[in-house]
Amino acid sequence: MTASSQGEATGTFYVAPSLAAALDTLNDYGPDGAAFAGGTWIMRAPIRHQPLKTHYVAIGKIPELTVIRIGTDAIEIGAAVTHAALTAALTDLPEFAVLAAAAGRSANPAIRAMATIGGNLSASDFSAADCVPALLCLDTQVEVSSRDGHERISIDAFLKRRSTFAPGQLLTKIVVPRSGHKTAHSRLPLRKAGDYPVAIVSLSVDVDPTNQVRKARIAIGSVEMAARRWERLETALVGRVLDPALAADIAADLADEFTGRESVEVPAWYRVRVLPGLVRRATAAALGV
Amino acid sequence: MSLSLTVNGKRRTSAADPVTPLVDVLREEFHLTGAKPVCREGFCGACMVLLDDKPTPSCLMPASLAQGCEIRTVEGLGAGDTLNTIQQALEACDAVQCGMCFPGMVVTLTHFLTTSPRATRDDIRAALTGNICRCTGYERIVDAALTALAKE
Repeated sequence: MTASSQGEATGTFYVAPSLAAALDTLNDYGPDGAAFAGGTWIMRAPIRHQPLKTHYVAIGKIPELTVIRIGTDAIEIGAAVTHAALTAALTDLPEFAVLAAAAGRSANPAIRAMATIGGNLSASDFSAADCVPALLCLDTQVEVSSRDGHERISIDAFLKRRSTFAPGQLLTKIVVPRSGHKTAHSRLPLRKAGDYPVAIVSLSVDVDPTNQVRKARIAIGSVEMAARRWERLETALVGRVLDPALAADIAADLADEFTGRESVEVPAWYRVRVLPGLVRRATAAALGV
Repeated sequence: MSLSLTVNGKRRTSAADPVTPLVDVLREEFHLTGAKPVCREGFCGACMVLLDDKPTPSCLMPASLAQGCEIRTVEGLGAGDTLNTIQQALEACDAVQCGMCFPGMVVTLTHFLTTSPRATRDDIRAALTGNICRCTGYERIVDAALTALAKE
């Protein structure tokens, strides 16, 4: 039975004209309400056998949440910016190649025009979100807003806390520092495009003129339930010349720290097994070879 | 409170719950059955409609958020009894098979032809990433899109 055939309308859908109105309304609704950005995760709740909320606050028309500001030190991305808009904005910024690829190659064109970066970060049970590892490797900060003000925290902290925020707290902004590092995003979907990646490697490396690694941030998505940094691999690469084959060999030695998640698409071990290959591809892409 | 929707140029009202997927309102209340609720996940594209001229999977669009938008379904793409350019090309190329994916294909390609007049075969394939044909009849569909582009 579909929702439309269940009789009289019971829920509400409030299209917030401003951030203040959205925060007030979310606060008033309490646990019965939730923010609604692109909706590509929420609308599939029935398929996951999860109940929909009684009240939704649409945040996609709030001007400050749909803006991308490209500054000299950082870029600021409103939480309701779509993947398509983000991809277009990053076209001429090679240091954000990892984020442009994450936003521009996920799902399919119509979904990229709906799905938002804030939704991607906030969907705590969506393991295959492309933007999450990309933002992890970019040393991102995020802003969480409520009636009481704004709080800026690291993305690592946000990911740990995201399922515990109070109903009136909302992710409103993503702040990504400009580092000039070489970055790349490597993903393995089962088909060439259009479905969820089996595994994701997002990489940001600072290299000297001889390509010796000074600093590395590498994040892995879709392998485990939540994306996370691969700190042992980062440490192992520092001081070495960045080389795709070498990076893959080191990754193969260290990959046993991951425990793949089971799913109908692939067995758990496969997600881990493909990581060295994805590290090789990401490294080569970062080097432009 | 009822929903007010503009579908294929006509004002329609619905008493559906605001979060009801648009595809269900289109099919069950307005009897516009071209859009198909197949995967209900935004993967297959069988429910694609144009929302303010943008291809949108109507399974993921709450009906209430479509208020104020111009909704066009496959039933509203032609002019009267005349098929639009891509519909004519699909027929000429004998590209139609079971019909399940086709309304979505037509919607996506109608938009694509207007926005990408110099598209290549690869561009067309990329544009159809979100439209799955279970008959695997992709090559003739892409041929038809190229034929339509050549005519425009």
